[in-house]
Amino acid sequence: MKIPTAMDDNSVSHHNGGQVGSQIGVSVNNKQNEEPSQSVQYSIPGILHFIQHEWARFELERSQWEVDKAEFEARIAFLQGERKGQENLKNDLVRRIKMLEYALKQERAKFHKLKYGVELQQGDVRPPPEESATEPEPVERTQWKQGRQFIKQYLQEIGYTDTILDVRSNRVRALLGLKNEDSDNSNYRNYEKQQHDRCDYSANHMVRKYDYGKEPRKTSGSSGGGYNDEGMSVQETAAVFANFEFLTNQEMDMDEIDDLDAKQTLHASGKQGEEVDHEAEEVLNELNMLTINEVVSAGQGDEYQGGVTSGGSASASAASSSVGSGSGAGEADEETLGLGELAQLTVSNEPEAYDVAGANKESFRKTWNAKYTLRSHFDGVRAIAFHPTEAALVTASEDHTLKLWNLQRTVPAKRSAGLDVEPLYTFRAHSAPVLCLAMGAPRSEECFSGGLDGTIRVWNLPPPTADPYDPYDPAVQGAVLREHTDAVWSLASACGRLASASADGTVRLWAPRAPRPLLATLRPDDGPPPAAGPALAPSPAPAALDFADAASRAAVAYRDGSLLLYDLETGQAVLRLGCDSPANRVRSHPTLPMLVTAHEDRHIRFWDAVSGQCSHAMVAHLDAVTGLALDPNGLFLLSGSHDCSVRLWNLDTKTCVQEITAHRKKFDESILDVAFHPLRPYIASAGADGLAKVFV
Amino acid sequence: MTDGVQILRRNRPGTKAKDFCRWPDEPFEEMDSTLAVQQFIQQTIRRDPSNLEAILKMPEVLDEGVWKYEHLRQFCMELNGLAVRLQNECKPETCTQMTATEQWIFLCAAHKTPKECPAIDYTRHTLDGAACLLNSNKYFPSRVNIKDSSIAKLGSVCRRVYRIFSHAYFHHRSIYDAFERETHLCKRFTYFVTKYPIIPQEILILPKLDDEVPAGESEA
Repeated sequence: MKIPTAMDDNSVSHHNGGQVGSQIGVSVNNKQNEEPSQSVQYSIPGILHFIQHEWARFELERSQWEVDKAEFEARIAFLQGERKGQENLKNDLVRRIKMLEYALKQERAKFHKLKYGVELQQGDVRPPPEESATEPEPVERTQWKQGRQFIKQYLQEIGYTDTILDVRSNRVRALLGLKNEDSDNSNYRNYEKQQHDRCDYSANHMVRKYDYGKEPRKTSGSSGGGYNDEGMSVQETAAVFANFEFLTNQEMDMDEIDDLDAKQTLHASGKQGEEVDHEAEEVLNELNMLTINEVVSAGQGDEYQGGVTSGGSASASAASSSVGSGSGAGEADEETLGLGELAQLTVSNEPEAYDVAGANKESFRKTWNAKYTLRSHFDGVRAIAFHPTEAALVTASEDHTLKLWNLQRTVPAKRSAGLDVEPLYTFRAHSAPVLCLAMGAPRSEECFSGGLDGTIRVWNLPPPTADPYDPYDPAVQGAVLREHTDAVWSLASACGRLASASADGTVRLWAPRAPRPLLATLRPDDGPPPAAGPALAPSPAPAALDFADAASRAAVAYRDGSLLLYDLETGQAVLRLGCDSPANRVRSHPTLPMLVTAHEDRHIRFWDAVSGQCSHAMVAHLDAVTGLALDPNGLFLLSGSHDCSVRLWNLDTKTCVQEITAHRKKFDESILDVAFHPLRPYIASAGADGLAKVFV
Repeated sequence: MTDGVQILRRNRPGTKAKDFCRWPDEPFEEMDSTLAVQQFIQQTIRRDPSNLEAILKMPEVLDEGVWKYEHLRQFCMELNGLAVRLQNECKPETCTQMTATEQWIFLCAAHKTPKECPAIDYTRHTLDGAACLLNSNKYFPSRVNIKDSSIAKLGSVCRRVYRIFSHAYFHHRSIYDAFERETHLCKRFTYFVTKYPIIPQEILILPKLDDEVPAGESEA
């Protein structure tokens, strides 16, 4: 109305100014309403004064808004910084998880390759979804929890389950245990023993791979605003890792292994234990130090198996400590165990390292426990033989078939049904019970079987990855050796040659892959049996045989109790050992000129293969001894008997180390064969009840 | 072995094939092993494989489920002999499908989704699958005490196993005849599944195999 235009402009601008402005606008309007009611006293100075006054007010308010804006901007910047820091932390955690995963994959692939000779398809291991970590907003607490969740997930994946919490709660105690080990509670110690292998294994690798990520982590630590607050989680993890490492060392210490490197490591982790509230960086440094020590003690840097084959005392001692531990279900555990054993065997094969093997004897003397039951045969299992290198075995049964079993592949698939293994392949060709079995040497992909039908069959083993329900492949069936005219009861294979003992009275030597496979026929009285002989009507049938003396000789046990040693060059018997009771099995010692025989009269007899003297005889079982196997080092003897038990003997002292009741009777037969794995810590027994059992 | 005092029923290494398992019969009542039923069945078969009545005459004390189970084990085991013979003649190229008469094509149940396996694969897979099932720790943890729910599984095994006979009969008659002459297995099987009604009569498509009529002579 009569309000000056300037005022109007101002009020309009106020209206545009937002909430505060509108209030002011209202007040201005009020004034406008009041002004006309007061007397009209507009004067130039009055108006000017009013405008000035208003302008000053608005300026003041504007500056206030500006302060507010700056404040808000500062807050936004702060929050953004915080978010960035958390994102850095998240990235770091994800990277660490990926590194751990990568390490795990590498290890899996490595062991897979080692076991099966083929590359593992890495389909099963996927990096954890990153989405779960992308929420930037939750405060430290949540983030910390997430990080822990990841680690937990990872640990679960490697077979290390909820016990992580126990580790944490026991951490302090464990660290204290460094100073007074005796006061460690036995429960914890048990747990430690059980878990030692996988802790050892996983912790080493975790720590080692962890080191690679050190550099990026440091940078993120300096840039991220909230990172130092988050350092807690890093430290927590690091402490757990260090704890694993610590367990390892403690275990080694318990095994009384004077390993300088190990002690150094122990010291390092001890220091870690004293100051639990370190800053993250310091922990990292220590971890780094541990890594270096670990590398030194492993001998060959990152390659675990490299360290193993190098045969250094460090790796041997590590192996012995892992052999001593109990059985676990985890695959990683198994692998370590297998490698540990491998290491031991490799070392002890070297002559100068024989003492090491001797020292490891104590740890080798572990308790064997039944782990796998192989049930798929319809009738008694007559023979059992391990694959020369893989965790696989072949069984031969009276149901006319042979079956191939892979101890590694089928177990994870059948976790629900315990540790039953399903056969990988069923070999069908015999038309009568299969009685004996020999794995190819040196060719590991073949095996031989002899049956009651008098045939010897050559088999090409399907790959351990084969599916049991693949189409029939006739190539699995190899040559058939038909010269025997009666049941083939024993087979032995070495250096590409095969020896067979048959109830037709002959022992034959074969080159199974040659066009004319039969090399020689050995008879006890060299040459055709004297047909006109008065007393000894038919020549006694050989019951068992084995190669001896680097496969240049063959030891054959006959049913009349005689034991003949043939020179395979000449085909002549060079040594005759006699005893009253017929032998069911004969085995030659892998390194010494010694023969071991299992007898119907419950005895096991030891023979000097040079002089022909019986060096020792012992009643070994309550019933006839049927199966014999020597471990590849020649330190232990395994025997099976119709008394249903398997016994493990120390060859040095000839004392029984362990007895296992393994099979049930069918008629008057029980255990029919036993076997040692040539490389891995497996023993097996086969029984008339149609089962085969594998012990670890 | 002929101790007189105590007979040890054992096959010692070096035993001649003709002496394998040749020991005096042991009365079922004296068998104290957990495998007594298997021992008894095998002992009776060994005495005379053609005497179906005797082989399938169940000792009274026995549980019928166990009796059926052990017999089926024995059938699957002996069928291996037929599979071995078929391996040489029944090629995937010639017998591309598992058939008996032209009426049905049988799908192999050993796979996740039943598959049209060639006849020889069907045979092998069925026998392997039966071996796994009959030895399964889940369904048959014990051989002296079997749950009814597990006994119910025997029917499907029998049906599949019978197809092996029928395929051999209609497509590899000479093998079938030779095998049957030696073992009387199909006759025994038919007798078995009829006596204990395990599979319906109309599935038994092989002619001249009524359990009443001793058909062996007419076939040979």
